[in-house]
Amino acid sequence: MDGESVLSRGSLPKEESALDEWVAAAARGDVRAWQELVDRYSPLLLGVLRRYRLERAEAEDVAQTVWLRLVEHLGELREPRALPMWICTTAGRECLRQLAASRRAVPRDPLDDAWQASLVEPDPVDDVERAQRREALLSALGELPEKQRRLLVLLATDPPPSYSEISQRLGIAVGSIGPTRARALERLRACAPVRALLDEAVPHQAGARGDRRA
Amino acid sequence: MHDELWDDERLLRELAEALADPGDLLPLLVRQGYEIFGWRTVEAELALASLDFDSRLVEPLEVRSQGEELRLLVFNAAPLSVELEVSRQRVTGQIVPPSRGCVVVETTAGPLVRVEADDVGFFRLPALGEGPVRLRCETETSRLVTDWVRL
Repeated sequence: MDGESVLSRGSLPKEESALDEWVAAAARGDVRAWQELVDRYSPLLLGVLRRYRLERAEAEDVAQTVWLRLVEHLGELREPRALPMWICTTAGRECLRQLAASRRAVPRDPLDDAWQASLVEPDPVDDVERAQRREALLSALGELPEKQRRLLVLLATDPPPSYSEISQRLGIAVGSIGPTRARALERLRACAPVRALLDEAVPHQAGARGDRRA
Repeated sequence: MHDELWDDERLLRELAEALADPGDLLPLLVRQGYEIFGWRTVEAELALASLDFDSRLVEPLEVRSQGEELRLLVFNAAPLSVELEVSRQRVTGQIVPPSRGCVVVETTAGPLVRVEADDVGFFRLPALGEGPVRLRCETETSRLVTDWVRL
């Protein structure tokens, strides 16, 4: 119905399986497990690409290189958390390479402040913080089981679809959307990257940077 | 405390921001990812040489002189490594430790060119195109394939 029956078949990991089992299955050559990883972590890859403000074609090139490389490195990713970190690191590095290459292609004046400014938001600190929040949330999202993940993605669209539409698209009863949503958000909060994010946010609330908007 | 700080609504708002995809790139990324699995190398005893050094990353935003960039890359699969020097016109390479061998350049469309490395492991490649490439190197004692890279 929602893919679980397919996933339970054969030696494939179940929907609830830990990330490392999906990684191991993909490393053994299981295409369905690989697709599962791509589904889970494409949003994170996109999030990293957004951080570097590449042209669209450049972003596509970087993504292709990251995927090509990930396929070969799967076997080395032993820790469950290693995969999202690997994606952030590798994609970040490839973005920098791309920026260096495109900068090299066009002669530029070292004092060209306007170009420098185009690379960052007006408030660079805020920009970096936002990128960190984004990458932490998207890393965590990848750890959620498919049903919870798809529900949160739907609920996060603007405007969110109605519960009856969600029910149709995900094949879950309207009555169980609320509880699934609560469980999914709880689970997201419990994921290591989000926990770290929230722990960091506490001093802000305590007044260290109390001037920030609540 | 966490719940006050980031209640459900806030968490969903943050998630919405994180998932924003103004260029509608996500479907493309997923498709790219799916397709690339066919490029997985499955040969036993083929070492994966990781891109461990790229001069372009050392000083990525340094403004270079008018002269042409000479890019240096090092791929490592201990005990063997491959070094590349890339300029606009040509690519030269060195197998370390120096040894005779052959080098095949692969693109995502398939093998592109095959050259021999001389007695001291030196080889030359023609200028390579825009897309991702990787090298397969075979010496008398080892075989390796490098990470994919754009030169």
